Amino acid sequence: MGAPDTTLRLAGAAVFAPGIPSVDALFDPSARDPEFRKPVVDIVASRMKRATSIATRAAVHVVVHAARQADWPLDSFATVFASQHGEIQIAVEQMRMMREDNGIVSPARFKNSVHNTAAGMFSIGATNRGFTSAIAAGDHSFPLALLEAWMLLASGEQERAVVSIVEEPLPEPITEFSSHATLAVAVALDRAEGGTRVHRPERLLPEATQPPALDARSFEGFEGHTAEGALRILACERESRSTHVSLSPSWCARVDVP
Amino acid sequence: MPFEVPFEAVTGTVPGPLPPLPEDLRGYDSRTARLAQMGLREVEDPVRASVARWGAHRVALVLGTSTGGIDTTEKVFFEWHERGCPQPPTLPSDFSYPTQHPFHAFLDATAILAGIAGPRWVVSTACSSSAKVFSSARRLIELDLADAVLVGGVDGLCNTTVRGFNSLGVMSSEPCRPFGADRPGMNVGEAGAFLLLEREVAPGQAPMAWLRGVGETSDAYHMSSPEPEGRGALEAMKIALAEGGVEPAQVGYVNAHGTGTKYNDAAESKAIEALFGRETPVVSTKAYTGHTLGACGAVEAIFAIEALRGGWIPAAIGAHPIDPEIHVHLPESVLERELQFVISNAFAFGGNNASLLLEKA
Repeated sequence: MGAPDTTLRLAGAAVFAPGIPSVDALFDPSARDPEFRKPVVDIVASRMKRATSIATRAAVHVVVHAARQADWPLDSFATVFASQHGEIQIAVEQMRMMREDNGIVSPARFKNSVHNTAAGMFSIGATNRGFTSAIAAGDHSFPLALLEAWMLLASGEQERAVVSIVEEPLPEPITEFSSHATLAVAVALDRAEGGTRVHRPERLLPEATQPPALDARSFEGFEGHTAEGALRILACERESRSTHVSLSPSWCARVDVP
Repeated sequence: MPFEVPFEAVTGTVPGPLPPLPEDLRGYDSRTARLAQMGLREVEDPVRASVARWGAHRVALVLGTSTGGIDTTEKVFFEWHERGCPQPPTLPSDFSYPTQHPFHAFLDATAILAGIAGPRWVVSTACSSSAKVFSSARRLIELDLADAVLVGGVDGLCNTTVRGFNSLGVMSSEPCRPFGADRPGMNVGEAGAFLLLEREVAPGQAPMAWLRGVGETSDAYHMSSPEPEGRGALEAMKIALAEGGVEPAQVGYVNAHGTGTKYNDAAESKAIEALFGRETPVVSTKAYTGHTLGACGAVEAIFAIEALRGGWIPAAIGAHPIDPEIHVHLPESVLERELQFVISNAFAFGGNNASLLLEKA
């Protein structure tokens, strides 16, 4: 039988990091803006953004910008949000409240502490009533979110999907356990013809006799970041380079650029 | 409860000390990992047989949780705070955030315990998490990326959820009464529940049930309150039925999300009444277990499958006297009835809805 060889069109992409307001700025240091520090989420009211993490707002920021680049209405696609550490900043803030505020936590923070907070915020702001999911798989969170999106599209269940990956630094007292900088990346994918093609993510099995040569470049400031694989896909498109890219220590995907 | 909180609350607690992980997996220790281990023991034999049949790399693992091993970080945070938050932070030597707290920690431990080497990830969409794992599993099998998928849901009691739901004013200090008049709210519970989905039935084996449809929608309404008319829930159930080619009249029982909170039960009952009318039995088994959060989708799928297999519908305990605004059929006692199809609902923060359609095998 075998899995279908469906490839997906990269219809749009977006990046958020402090000082990096666009995909162009990721690759062109002269386009960076030190004043750009916070995600721009213009699809929900300010009160809804209160007590949300940078990770939530960054994930929504990149999903909205990737969809706009693809020229898609915001209610017209499925979303798969991914993160290894998710809402850890809010989780630890709540622990502080449990010790300092008579054991009582903030209801606003609590309702924004779930891994699918960004998924909920986006669906509310975009009036998107369709499929959404929020996944985690450690270092492999991005390739497995990409695999979920690929399955949604290859099965014909969905026509369009946006995948996002986000991390922010761990708070005290657990800061030492991760060196992730704040970074969010989104890719908008569909089954239309043409454009940059993203193949199904593949596992690099230890017993593979001929593993593909991989583009495993690093990005300064984001070395080893959960989102680095997404950046490599964007680099292929920017350089018109077709190759297999490393998505994580044990996942890769072929990217073909016409 | 395995810890103290400054308010009265009833919880669905797994009693006694939870068995520790094997010595070589102690680095993964958390309440969630221990619950996963306990749940896994219930499916040990079929999982072992599936791995032998298909090969470890062809068996995938997709689990739902809302908290992962957050209890481990709670403990070290509280201890660090009591010491005056020394800088740089010094933490206990047996604490390892990467292998205890994040979602993939208990996932990795489960994969090792089960001998599974296929793709694995966690779906974490709060209380719909372990209902949504069924659709991921189905895609993996249908697209030939796996031959079998162990799905499930695991969540352990922790300060974050117990105190968090209390802050929302929805926790009850008495057993919950889903759909009941003057219902007092919800009880947080904990569980580890697993189901094995396979491409085809093994020779000589009988399936327990068939997965016929999964409906997944978003309310696009509010982060923590359901859309009052239950439109997102209704659409999720409709999608599940359409996928299975099943008419509402063929469904013999709806296993409701039924948290026992005022707004969830009101919205869900409207959706159920709109689709199934007032005669189809509706039960929330959270009255038996408490709300097991990220585990409830899998826990309640098991209730639904047991109902299909046994030809009975559990009593809607706590529902009587029924909220006069709720018009669905909530059986006061166990009903013996042959069932062909059951719907099981799981709805979540963020307006995230999932409905499973299960068929008797």
